[in-house]
Order: sequence, then C-alpha cells, then structure tokens
Amino acid sequence: MAKEIMLHAVGIDKRFGPTHAVDHVSLDFYKGEIHALIGENGSGKSTFTNMLTGIITIGGGTFELDGEKIAPKNQVDANHHGAAVIVQEQGTLDGLTVAENMFLGDEDQFMSKGIKNTAAMYKKAQELLDGYGLAHIKATDPIEHYNFEDRKLVEIVKSTWFKPKVLVVDETTTALSQSGREELFRVMRDVRDDNRTVIFISHDMGEVLEMSDTISILRDGEFIKTVDAKEVDQDGLKTLMVGRKMSEHYYREDYDQSLAGDVAISMKDVSVPGQLENLSLELHKGEILGIGGLSECGMHEVGKALFGASYNRTGEVKLGDGTPIDDINAAIDHSIAYASKDRDNESLLIADTIQDNITLPSLRKMKKPLSPKHEREFAEKYAKQMSVKMVGVSQFVSALSGGNKQKVVLARWLGAESDILVLDSPTRGIDIKVKADIYNLMDEMRKQGKAILVISEEIMELIGMCDRILVMKDHKVAGELERSRDLTENDLISLMV
Amino acid sequence: MQSFLKKAKTSQWYGVGLLLVISVIIWAIFKVAAPATFGAPDKLLSYLQSALIYAVGGCGLYFICVMGLFDFSIGAMLILSELMAIAFIPKLGWLSVIVIPILVGFLLGFCNGIAYIKMHIPSIIVTTGLSLIYESFSVWVADINGTRLDDAYKLFGAYPWNLIVAVLAYLLCWFILKYTKIGTYTNAIGANELVAKNMGVDVDKYKAIAFTLCGTFVGIMSILYLGYGTAQTPQTGMLSQALNFQPLMGTFFGLAFKKYGHPVVSILIGEYIVAMIFAGFVAIGMPTTVNNIVTGATLLAIVTLTTKRVNGAVVK
Repeated sequence: MAKEIMLHAVGIDKRFGPTHAVDHVSLDFYKGEIHALIGENGSGKSTFTNMLTGIITIGGGTFELDGEKIAPKNQVDANHHGAAVIVQEQGTLDGLTVAENMFLGDEDQFMSKGIKNTAAMYKKAQELLDGYGLAHIKATDPIEHYNFEDRKLVEIVKSTWFKPKVLVVDETTTALSQSGREELFRVMRDVRDDNRTVIFISHDMGEVLEMSDTISILRDGEFIKTVDAKEVDQDGLKTLMVGRKMSEHYYREDYDQSLAGDVAISMKDVSVPGQLENLSLELHKGEILGIGGLSECGMHEVGKALFGASYNRTGEVKLGDGTPIDDINAAIDHSIAYASKDRDNESLLIADTIQDNITLPSLRKMKKPLSPKHEREFAEKYAKQMSVKMVGVSQFVSALSGGNKQKVVLARWLGAESDILVLDSPTRGIDIKVKADIYNLMDEMRKQGKAILVISEEIMELIGMCDRILVMKDHKVAGELERSRDLTENDLISLMV
Repeated sequence: MQSFLKKAKTSQWYGVGLLLVISVIIWAIFKVAAPATFGAPDKLLSYLQSALIYAVGGCGLYFICVMGLFDFSIGAMLILSELMAIAFIPKLGWLSVIVIPILVGFLLGFCNGIAYIKMHIPSIIVTTGLSLIYESFSVWVADINGTRLDDAYKLFGAYPWNLIVAVLAYLLCWFILKYTKIGTYTNAIGANELVAKNMGVDVDKYKAIAFTLCGTFVGIMSILYLGYGTAQTPQTGMLSQALNFQPLMGTFFGLAFKKYGHPVVSILIGEYIVAMIFAGFVAIGMPTTVNNIVTGATLLAIVTLTTKRVNGAVVK
C-alpha cells in the first residue's frame, strides 16, 4: 500500500541577517513513520522545525499538513493545526502549577464566560499524567517542585496528549536519563503506530538508526538526501552530513605515550551537599583526565569545584604549588579555564558579540587603556584559530549554532592561555565535524603540557580521549580506569550502575 | 518530627502559617516594650484598618510586580482618584464616592498600560513620568470642590464598611488570579516572557490588562483611603511617590510567599505586620525617621529570610 503524505514542505526558507539558515528546503514526511532530520550544527534542522511549530515565523515556502496549508503564529496555534514540539531546553514555567503549564495558552477548553474551571483543568491534567504512567507528578503542585527530568516528562505529556499529527522531538534525549529516554521513545513509537508522524532530531547516530524509519540530511541549510534507515550505517550518515568521508578514528590513537607530568591541580576531601562526598583527585600536566557517570552522580559539580564556582564546598582545591583555589577570580588568575555543560546560561554572554565573549577573561591582562582595535584583533585571531563560522567578531553569539558557540567558548580560553582546562560536556549537542576539531585541539593542548579535565556523559568520548577515567556513582568515585586499547563501554557502565 | 516539618514545608498553608507566627512575634516584642500603649484588642483592630487599605493597593500592584514590572504612579493615581471623587460629590453624591475613584483608577491604569506598551521603555520610567502628569491634574481638580471630604461621606473609613469593601476587593483579586487567564498569564510572563509568547500568550495585551487592574484596585483603595482620612491635598514634584511605598510592601510579601499559593492572604498579613511595626515604634516613642529605617530593614529581613536563595545564583 502506498504511503500517505502527512507533511508536505515546499521551498521552506529562512534567513537571519546574513545567515541563510534554511535554503528552500522541500521535504515529504509520511504517515506512520519516525523521520529523523540530521545534519551538522547550523545545518538548519531546528530552524526548519521551529517554523513548522510556530516558534519562529516562516521566511518563505509552505507547509501542508495533512492536506491543510499552515503558517502557525505560535506554538499553541501550531498545536491547533496538529503540529507539536518537545524542545531541548526547559519549556515549563516556574510560578505555574503542573496543570497550568500543561494547558498554557490553551485554557479555552476550560473557560466559560471568561471564568476558568480550575477543578476541571486539574482533573484532566491528572488523568493525563496518570495515563502516561506519571502518577507521581501531581497536577496541582507548583512545577518548581519537580526536577528537570520530571518537568521534561510533563512537557512530553503537554505536547502529545492531544494526538498531534506531527510530533517534533528536537534534541530532547540529551536532557533525559535512560528511563526518561525510554519513556520518550515509547511515546514516539505510539505516535508512529497510530499512523501519525514523528520528526526526530538528534546528533546521536546510534539513536537515530535505532529509532527512525527514514532519515533526511540537511547541510548548511540545504536539503541533501533522504535515505531509508535500514539501508545506511553510521559512517554513511556521517559522510552525508559532512559532505566528505569522515575518518572513523577521530579520537586519540596513542595508547602508550602518557605525557603526564607534575600535579597541576588537586582536590582533597571535597564535599558539596547533595553533589559530592569526600572526593579527591589529582590532575597532571600533559594529561587528559576524564570524569564519567550517570547524569545525577555529581560529576558536573567536580568542574565547578575546580573552578571555584561551587558555593557550598568544603575540602581543599589547590594547585600543584599549593596555591588554594577558592573562588572564580583565583581560578582565572591562575590560568584555569572552565566550559560549563550549560553553555548558553553559564559559559556565554548570549546577548553579546563574539569579540566580547572571547576577550572577557583576557581583559585583565591587556594593556590599559584598552584599545578597541587590539581587542578586535585578539578576538579575530582566536576565533580564526578555532574556525568559528561567523560573519565577523561583531556578530552576536546568539545567532551562532551550538557547535560554533562552543568554539567561541574554547577560543576564549585559548586566548587566555589557560594551562588547566575544565571542560564539562565539551561536545554536547555538537556535530561530528566540530567534535573532531575539538578532540584535535584537546590532544594538541595535552601535547603542549596543559592539564585537561573532561566531564562527559559520552562513554566513547572518555575512552577515546582520556589518559585516565574516574567513574562516579552516588557522588563518589566508584573506580579509576587507565587508558587502554582493551577498555570497553561495559567497563565504565559496570562502575556507573 | 523532622518528616513532619518537611511535610509541613511543602504544605500550601506553610507560608501563611509562617507569616502568622511572625505577626505574633512582632506583636509580642512591642507588647513587652510598650505594654500600655501597644497591642490591645482595640489597637489591633486599628492596625487592621490601616492594613486593609494598603493591602487593596498591594493586590493591584501584584499583577504588575509578578511580571517583573513596576508601577510608580499609584500614589498619584490614589490622590487624583480621591480628589475627583470629592470634586463630583456635589453633582453625584454617593455615586461619586463609590464609582468615580474606581473609574478614574481604571482609566489611569489603562493609560499606564497603553503608554508602557506603545513607548517600549521601562515601566518605572513610564509610570514615574505619568505620575508627574497625574500630580499636576490633581492640583487642578483640587480647585473644583476643595480637598476635604464631607463627614457625611465617610462611611467607608470605618468598620464594618471598610472591611466589606476590602474583603470584596481581595475576593476579586483572588478570583482573577485563580479563575481567569489573567492570573496564569501574568505569572507566565513573569517566569519567561519569550516562552509565554511562544505559547500564544498575547503579552502586550496582558501587560495592559495588568496595569488597568492595578489602577482599578488603586481606585478601590482610594474609596477606603478617602473615608479613613479627613482630606487629601494634591502633591507635586513627585511627592506622591511616598504613597507608593506601603502598598508595595504588601506586594513584596505576596511575591515572597507566592510559591505557597496564597498571595492575597500574604499581602494582607504582610501589610498587617508593617502596620504593627509602624504603630509599635510610635508606641515606644521613636521618631518617624527611625520608624522608616526599621520598617525598611524589617521588610528586607523578612523577604530575605523567607526567600530560598541558591548560593551563586544571579539575582537581578
């Protein structure tokens, strides 16, 4: 039986200033399929689906959803037309209850003559939550009573309960634990089995191949190809995404050349309530030390503690020469760099220029009075070194893709000539080409004698890049693994769980 | 015991309970300091009389402040509403005392909202600018029928009518917050305006509605304020700003205790606490300047102690 088209996109186009984010993309999505949309950062995937779901306006072209032309004004309007999205970022609002969040913008179903039937709204919300197996979440509770994962699950209910014709899942899995992912995948399969459509955006090729029926590739805003998921492998997808054959081995290939020297920085009996318990470690010059574990194991706090950004810390953090590092200024003064997992909120001045973002920690070392010309040249030098895809350093960081934002973060610390780098999830949400660039940079820095601490939820990244790996479980170190060809994912997983 | 406390803290009424405990502590402190002049039942009713009035204004301001905005024109709106009521008494009688202040408050609030939306500048600047204009109008209106309210029209200045009007205003505020979109949307805008917009919330419309509601509640407050006082003189040169302070204090309490789900009750108890502190310092013979210092410090202390802060978190 011929497949029926659910969504017919014709000539979809969008520009952001000089950036042509989506360039006349035409694509068909069929009923009863999970259709992955993949591509490098900045390839236009999210821009395409954001137009479909009313998050941004359509620049050009038309979306025809189940035979009806749509141009949603906002997310709720898109919902009414049958398109819904689950986004990567937090999409629920503090100050509202769970139920108010679930029906935000769509309260009319409970309104009569301007009065909201609050009891009916709570009842319906709780029924939906119970139906999704989320009875532990109470519709009447303020949403801030719940953690990120539960709030994400509320978003899944919010976006799917009304049976949208098209459900967009945009990089949502990176925010979820294994059980959260399984819940999301179950919902995706249900949508497909109900003869509706899922558009699935992910950088995890394994996940894409496992979940999808069809895969479309975008590159630099242009449509490249649609392939059957059964007829392609990870290498084939990577080649299509990047436009050239990717080396399979973009991790380090050395196994017997440890360059580790003196201790660069150490932690002794460091505790942070609810995050770390009596953690001790040593990071050496010329070494890449990995920290791995499940997302809530406390590993992200290790980076903050080393950078003096852990506010309830006890225990000692000190440099090899004994200098204590107790606050962020001391860390920067002693050449420590930190790239947070939460790139947009904790690492970047998102509403500022590339130049300001790169020069910020180096201003204290620059000759006074500051010279705008010198600042610009400084930013240009390091942005170029990191191959940031940009119009110029005066461009705002908010207009960059995730990968290029991360390059700006790294360019900043490159410019500050940091000797100790703490990189939390350095390749989170980043495409494989930029990943390869970052891995090369890390290896180069290691060879220069810099000390690098990598905190990552990607096991292969830890195995591929680190000289040593500390695996954390329940806020403590559960084990230490040395770099080896024989190291497997199972070795780490068995320590994590 | 620990689990009981933990459970109690998640209760919706924990915040109200905490405020009541604070009220009792403050009463006890001043009662010990000035046993003869503070805290007798008739005095407590008199503090309540003052708190009732300011809490009505605090309810109005809540709609603005919950969105992260400010309205610095409420003092000027209050004065103009009162003087307009006095001006129309010869023609309209009781209707002027009841309807004119609400109508004037509604219109001025609406003007604030429209000006804020159209000018695209911070609400503090818009409302401060407009308050200068409203102050000037009040000087002109005061010439129509003077600044004194005839004793025959002071019904709403005393029990039980002040209580009835105030309770009706609180119920209205509670109803709007709980049973209309306005409550949800103003909260949503305050939490994340961009997300609220993406969810189809007409942000400009609801901001305008919030300013209008604020003005309307200030109008209701002026009914009580006019009855409570003996006269209202017009103010110029931003002197009306002094009247912004007390309603704002109640609003701060409402915002600080919002997470417990009963902002209106928190505003009222907060205003009562402030009224007790003022009266307490008068009772122990402190000068007004010291009263203001201690009241401001107490407000900061209470909001700080009751707000869960995360070390290192950005506070704007």
